[in-house]
Amino acid sequence: MLRFVGKHKTFSLALLIFVVLLWLITAQVKSGRFLFLEKPVLAVSGFFERTIGGAFNAVGSVWTRYVFLIGTQRENIRLTETLNNLRVENQLTNELLAENERLRAVLNFKKLYPPSAVVVQIIGKTVSPASSTVTISKGSENGIEKGLAVITAAGVVGKVQTILPGTSKVILLTDPESTLAVRVQRNREDGLLEGKLSHCALKYVSYYADVQEGDLLVTSGLDGIYPKGLPVALVVKVSKHEASPFQSVVAEPIVRFSRLEEALVLKK
Amino acid sequence: MKPRVYLIVLLLVIPFQARLLSPLSVAGITPDLCLIVVYVIGLLTSPREAAFAGIVVGLLQDINAASYLGLMGFTQGLAGLFAGFLGKRVLNVSSLSNIAFLAAFSLMESVFLAVFIEILYGSVPFFSMVFGNMLPRAFYTGLFGVVLLQLITKKGVITMLTRRTLQREA
Repeated sequence: MLRFVGKHKTFSLALLIFVVLLWLITAQVKSGRFLFLEKPVLAVSGFFERTIGGAFNAVGSVWTRYVFLIGTQRENIRLTETLNNLRVENQLTNELLAENERLRAVLNFKKLYPPSAVVVQIIGKTVSPASSTVTISKGSENGIEKGLAVITAAGVVGKVQTILPGTSKVILLTDPESTLAVRVQRNREDGLLEGKLSHCALKYVSYYADVQEGDLLVTSGLDGIYPKGLPVALVVKVSKHEASPFQSVVAEPIVRFSRLEEALVLKK
Repeated sequence: MKPRVYLIVLLLVIPFQARLLSPLSVAGITPDLCLIVVYVIGLLTSPREAAFAGIVVGLLQDINAASYLGLMGFTQGLAGLFAGFLGKRVLNVSSLSNIAFLAAFSLMESVFLAVFIEILYGSVPFFSMVFGNMLPRAFYTGLFGVVLLQLITKKGVITMLTRRTLQREA
């Protein structure tokens, strides 16, 4: 044995390192991920991501703002039209909100406080096929805290995982560590949405529950992280196995993470 | 490879993967730059050097992505080791068959990770992942890697990257 090790030193050392890595993975499976090196590495990579991203954005903005202006006027007209429509919708919503508040007061319901939001830019995307995370441009200096919900106008993105003064790491819905309490919008059936890298899986949905392809999943608010009713994912596949008391439901996030540029972090 | 090249690669590979490859994303799929870098190191150096480089790059990926520490270190280390053997015995940098090998490495890595997640958490939609994510990603990584390799060979960057001892061996 020793002779073999002496003869194949490099091979033995590599083998030893691979065994150590496997041990490290199994240890984390039992006791949770080791995150002690995360902040220093995020600080270094965050600095480079900001620098590279800044240079990249500067070149890009010269092109898009000063050179490539085809369609700008047409887009301007379309946006003005949308803005006017949204103003009308906003007035109607304000009326409904006021009415809702009055009725809540009459029924002695708990008062709803809409959360305030911080606009953030996505400065880095997933670097490992084993997880789904993004780096955002704001951190503890801007009041970002661990566990805050991150959303866009389209729906839920994920939640804040690690915070540094100027940047934070956000864990996306598709990350295997991500879980989110959701319900089917159509019939209020509850479930737990788990990340599976490219898709999500809706867990603990009873065999007899009515879940169909195309159903919209929204936040149920039961986890205390996300406000109730935000769009999360669309059901793309439902299958039932007689041996299991639960259905197997595959869902696709509403937000296209590959095109994500800005997001909102909801403060509590 | 030269130590300062390693330092630059280790400092920049993660930010480049995180920031600069996003515009190259097709249908949400981006090439795996970290795997390409490890593969190139394997072709240019030795199995030992590439395995260690792969482990370090993989560990950086794990830490940066808040993933299980050692998971990508393990897969990238193996990729480096096999790329090193390929570079020593079978392939050269400018060969077009690198597309197939890079794609195979990427596919094997994805399958390993999917199996790991299936064992740990269950309910992985395996077949839709294979056709919707793993195969396109593997092919894109292979193609992107070969384009990078062609650029490296054409501009004579290899001489700049490799140490004199390795150049003499070659």
